[in-house]
Order: sequence, then C-alpha cells, then structure tokens
Amino acid sequence: MAKRKAGGAQSKLKRIWRDRVLYLTLLPTLLYFFVFHVIPIIGMKLAFYDYRIKGDNVFVGFTYFIKLFSTPVFLQILENTLIISAMKIFLFFPMPIIFAIMLNEFKAGPFRKSVQVISYLPHFLSWVVIAGIWFEFLSPSTGILNSVLSNLGFGKVNLLTSKGSIRWVLLASESWRSIGWDSIVYLTAIMGIDPTLYEAAKIDGANRFQIVGNIVLPALAVTMVTVLILNIGFFMNAGLDQVLNFTNAAVNSKIDIIDTYVYRIGLQNSQYSLATAANLFKGVIGTLLIVSTHLFSKKLTGKGAW
Amino acid sequence: MKRRKKISIGKLLCGFIMMLLALCMLVPLLNILARSLSQPDLVHGLKGYDILPKGFSTVNYQVILGQPIVIRSILNSLFITVTGVCLNIILTSSAAYVLTRPGLVGKKVFMYFFIIMMIFEPGIVQEYFLMKNIHLLDNLFSMVIYRSVNVYYLIILMRFMEEVPASIQEAARIDGAGHFDVLFKIMIPLSRIPLITVGMFYAVFRWNEFFKSSIFLTSKNHTVLQVLLRQFVVNSDSQVIVGAANILANNNIAQLDNGSLKAATIVVAVVPILLLYPVILKYYTNGVMSGGVKE
Repeated sequence: MAKRKAGGAQSKLKRIWRDRVLYLTLLPTLLYFFVFHVIPIIGMKLAFYDYRIKGDNVFVGFTYFIKLFSTPVFLQILENTLIISAMKIFLFFPMPIIFAIMLNEFKAGPFRKSVQVISYLPHFLSWVVIAGIWFEFLSPSTGILNSVLSNLGFGKVNLLTSKGSIRWVLLASESWRSIGWDSIVYLTAIMGIDPTLYEAAKIDGANRFQIVGNIVLPALAVTMVTVLILNIGFFMNAGLDQVLNFTNAAVNSKIDIIDTYVYRIGLQNSQYSLATAANLFKGVIGTLLIVSTHLFSKKLTGKGAW
Repeated sequence: MKRRKKISIGKLLCGFIMMLLALCMLVPLLNILARSLSQPDLVHGLKGYDILPKGFSTVNYQVILGQPIVIRSILNSLFITVTGVCLNIILTSSAAYVLTRPGLVGKKVFMYFFIIMMIFEPGIVQEYFLMKNIHLLDNLFSMVIYRSVNVYYLIILMRFMEEVPASIQEAARIDGAGHFDVLFKIMIPLSRIPLITVGMFYAVFRWNEFFKSSIFLTSKNHTVLQVLLRQFVVNSDSQVIVGAANILANNNIAQLDNGSLKAATIVVAVVPILLLYPVILKYYTNGVMSGGVKE
C-alpha cells in the first residue's frame, strides 16, 4: 500500500476506479448531508438579505445583525443563554464526579447495581416526559416537595412560576436527568486505577478521604478537564427541548434562550431574516467554541470531542 | 475475612445519600404509574410520594387508548422510529465500512466534511423551507429522513471496524468476495454489538424527538406521540386526549381526573423506552459508547 501511496496522479485515479463501488456506497450518505445540511446552511445567507415572497431577496449587509444587537430583548436572551449554560456547566460539573466517587465506595453487588440502573434511566426519557414528571413533583397541590414542606410547617411554593427559581428548576431537572449517566465516564476512569495503589495507601495508614484526595481525584483529573472543556464548547446550547417544556408566561423572560427566540420569531412570527441572523450568530460562535475547545483539549489531555 | 467487618459512619452516610438519590429518581416515576392506575374516586388521596395506586382501575388507559388520535400518534411514532432506525443503520454502517477501507482516496476530505456537518447545524427556518420546497412538509418521511446519519455514531462504528483484522478481509477478497460480501458476511456480524448499541441510541432519539416533529408534521393525522403528550401534559390542552365532544357533554370521561389521564399518557410514552433499556444497559456495559471518545 505504501508503495502505491507514493505513486502519482495516475495511480490515484486507478485507485479511485478500483474503489468505485465504495464511492457509490457512500453516495447516499453524502447526498443526505448535501441536501439536508449543506443546502439549508447555504440558505442561511438569508441573514444578509431582505426576504421577498415574490422576486429576488434584497442584499442588506449586516442590517439584521445590527438590528439584533440593538434589540433589548435579544440582549436579555443572550444573557439568559449564558447564565443557564454557565449554571449547567459549572454548578453541575462536580455532581457526577462526587456521585462516581461515592458509588465506588460500594463493591459490585445488588446495591450498587440497582443505584446504577435507576440513576441511568432518566437520561433516556424525553424532555416532554421529564417535564410531566417534574410538574407532578413540584405541584403545589399534590407534589412531593410541597407535601414535605407542609409537613415541616412551611408554606406552599410553586417553583415553576417563580422568576427567582425557574433557572434552578432547569439546573435541578438537568442534574436529575444526567447525574447518573455522566458519572459513567468517571466511574470507568476510577475502575482503571491500579489496585496496588490502594493497597500501598492502606499499608501507609491512609484513610478514605486521603485515598480519595491522593489517588482517586488525581486519576480523574484528565477526564475532568476533558469533560469541562468539551462542555464549554456547547455553551451556546442552553437546552432547547428542556426550556420549551418548562417555560410558561410567568417565567419566559428568565429562560428564553437563543434557540427558543429563533423558533419564535422565525417560525411563529415569520421574521425570517432576523431569526436567521440570530441562528447564524449562534452557529458561528458555537462552531468557534467547539473547534477551539476540541483543539485545546486534544493538546492538553490528548482527548478531543471526536 | 482477616479484618473485622466494620461499617464506618462515612460509608453509611454514602449509602444513605445514594439511596436518597435513587429514590428521587424512582419515586416520581412510580408515583406516575400509581396515579395512572388509581381508582378515579380515590385518586385525590394519592400523595406525591405514594408508589402504590389507591384502589385499582385501568379506566384511564381505556380512555386514552380509546381515542383514535392517540392510537394514530403511537402508530406514527412507531413508523418513524422503525423506518428511521433502519435507514440510520443502513447509512451509518455502509458509510463506516467505506471510510475504513485502507487506501481510500479522499478519506480525509470526507471525514472533514462529516465533522463540519456534525458541528454546524443548519438553521431551523431553512430546514422548514427545505421540507416545504421538497414537499415533505406534513409527511412522516420528513422525520424519517431527518438525522439519517449521526456523525458521532459513525465515528464510533468506524473505530470498531478498524479493529477487525485486515487479514480476514483480505482472505475473503482473495476468495473472490465483493465489498458487499465482506460488509454483510464479515464486518456487520463482527461489529454487531456496537451496531445494536448505536441502533438503540438512534431508536431512543427517534422515539423521544418532539421539536422537529412539531414543526414538520403540521396536521393532526400526522402528529407523533411526544407532540400529543406535550399538548396534553405541558400545555394542559385536555381536549386533545379527552376529546371535545366528551368535554361538551361533560360525561364520565370528561370528569376523570386530568392528572391521572396525563400520568397514563406518560406511561404509554415511556413503555417502549423501558423495553429498550435492558438491552441498552447490557450492551453499554461492554464499553461500546465510552470507547468512542478514546483516541
């Protein structure tokens, strides 16, 4: 193969002809991406045009981007997106790590197995279903939370319609959904620790906390850094499916994010150019973030996003 | 046991917190199930932490499964999931096979193209217009075609196909086997575990999808279960499930507890996931998906 690789254009053409069946096999996939990704991505040039139902669209340059950034609503939405993302990335970050470390305190057995099976399950539920379960959970009349609160002598609260708490509900439901599933990658890293290290530490008289601090956490460092960096790559995605299901008129101004904004003004209010401008802005920043975090993570820990 | 068995306070605390967390996930689910199976006249006594139904009745299920629209949306969801996963598997496995052939000219270019496709998502307005222009709007096939290939899963499958020893394939090729023989008789059987795992994840994604379905499938006849569930559970539009005629007549059905009907609909939407879940766990524990991030 190496000898052929060194050959010129002639042998390259020969190889392409030899592999014609392979290219033909790849064609449907390429065609799919071309039609359903490339064409709509090219269509996003609409952000620089005025939409016309009849005739050609009119080029207007950055008009819609300027309009976007001079709208107070969009600035609020940008702020919401960044705050919700930051909460989900940084406040959630330690939870699966602690979960994995605590789970590791238990030997493989029925207890550990059941905790794993139960805690991975919410990851596979749709946000519609999770919202349904959480509405019930937080319901002022029948929910667990208010049952417990009233037993303790507190008044009833409705966290879903309170501006002060709705972002915390998003964080809590995201944690509920992901803590188990996201702990798998850490648990795998803990399993990879050389058992003789534990033995040596025990002989030296280390207690559990010292073992966790000096053996387990350092072994997780690479995974922690990788996960954190790669999650920052998705900063512009604050969770469309989740917000769409948890939002209501009372709290929408606090959790309206770029994706819901694009959906609302684009498909519900038919402001196509403005919506596309917001979408393109998000796409470009998001791509820059993902690519740079991928390269950074690869350089730092040897693991990238793909 | 050489050392005396001692359960430390720390471990006890750990176990307690783990159990509490697991209960936080399990109790709300069981509560939904209990609510859906409770007797309508007793359900008001059901507390949020109760996991056993008050009385027993299947009337909620009879009502929702008696609505043609519910049956219709379940069938639509099943159709999209089954057809969609077949398309997913065909495209993903054939693309993975092609891209792992040694000496393929242009492999790097293809990979860059796919990774760009993975990172940069098309705009939603443009996706809507595209479906409209190719006359797939309000057609179930719009959701079958949508996300036909997940590049991340493609890369995972490629990692597994790269592991298949080249000698086996070479031997087959020398024996006169074509690419399709190698793909179907060697590669697919040998990578069936990652293939099943990826298929399960595709299936979960497709069954749970609601956002694009709510945009592309505009008529009532083509609605999918998750969209219907959203109208009923999230937007509290009881008419979609109870039926306008029943509400107008204010009959027995209209007087059923809405919470119980919602609970029953949620259970119906979760059952397929619960059926797939043991399979997912079984294969996932073989480290299939976690292998994907490794270099």
